[in-house]
Amino acid sequence: MLDAFSRTVVSADAKTAPVGGSELATLRSYVRDGNKRLDAVNAITSNAYCIVSDAVTGMICENTGLIQAGGNCYPTRRMAACLRDGEIVLRYISYALLAGDASVLDDRCLNGLKETYIALGVPTQSAARAVAIMKSAATALIGQTNSPASGGSKYRKMETTAGDCSALVSEAGAYFDRVIGAIS
Amino acid sequence: MKSVVTTVVTAADAAGRFPSQNDLEAVQGNIQRAAARLEAAEKLASGLDRVTREAGDACFNKYAYLKQPGEAGDSQVKIDKCYRDLGHYLRLINYCLIVGGTGPLDEWGIAGAREVYRTLGLPTNAYIEALTYTRDRACAPRDMSAQALNEFKSYLDYAINALS
Repeated sequence: MLDAFSRTVVSADAKTAPVGGSELATLRSYVRDGNKRLDAVNAITSNAYCIVSDAVTGMICENTGLIQAGGNCYPTRRMAACLRDGEIVLRYISYALLAGDASVLDDRCLNGLKETYIALGVPTQSAARAVAIMKSAATALIGQTNSPASGGSKYRKMETTAGDCSALVSEAGAYFDRVIGAIS
Repeated sequence: MKSVVTTVVTAADAAGRFPSQNDLEAVQGNIQRAAARLEAAEKLASGLDRVTREAGDACFNKYAYLKQPGEAGDSQVKIDKCYRDLGHYLRLINYCLIVGGTGPLDEWGIAGAREVYRTLGLPTNAYIEALTYTRDRACAPRDMSAQALNEFKSYLDYAINALS
């Protein structure tokens, strides 16, 4: 498993060169925005239950066949497995966001996930849709772009200092896209 | 690669939980100390060749016998390899300063070093002398700030202790 720092080191080692100059600039930005990053991780972990349950519910609302007899979220045992998987995916994304590197997500979550889903008969299209909804919710919470209109009764604004979080929003979005790309 | 972040994530993953407030505080502590070690890494990277040269010279000055026939530095090729190895150690220390942990030195420098040196008949004393010279030669604020120097020297000491 690597983080933003050890990733730089591993690629420098491949060239047997020390890390200096321009490579340090990206690491300095990780350090400078360290507090923002921790707030972003906190925004995901504090709302994990809401993000996951909302995504799975949304996925089912768009495709009600899933909870009818023969659907992949029927009976509750299988829907529970679906909720569990959503939480696991979100957990590994939170690790990747904390580390600033996708290797933990790749190695421990996505490696073989598509093959497993195909073998178990899980519809990867639906799974990808649930991840896409999680992406919308999580990025809105990190960037504080959620609104009462879109959040409804579950609307929540994180109590953090307002600032420019666009880099973290796009980084987090990339990790969700990575999951979608890996299973579809 | 062992670092504060990977340690925290490994522990959280083993327990199957999201990163907790404790984990975030641990990472925050690591970040607070990062400025000094990144400065040390930058200064070391920019002067790596000169530092290597001085360290190697110090080692051959103290152990002049190494250049006699049959010893570890009896040809220019072998002497060059000695300087190259010192460069590797200093480069790994640069990596440690980046990562904020001893992972690079442990995995790429120390693991198996003792066995290799014994097989090749190389004296570790010479490396210790070179790294000790570097440690004692470096000073603040000429080379880097005091806090950065502290970080740099702690990894030099780690390498010295591992070789001795």
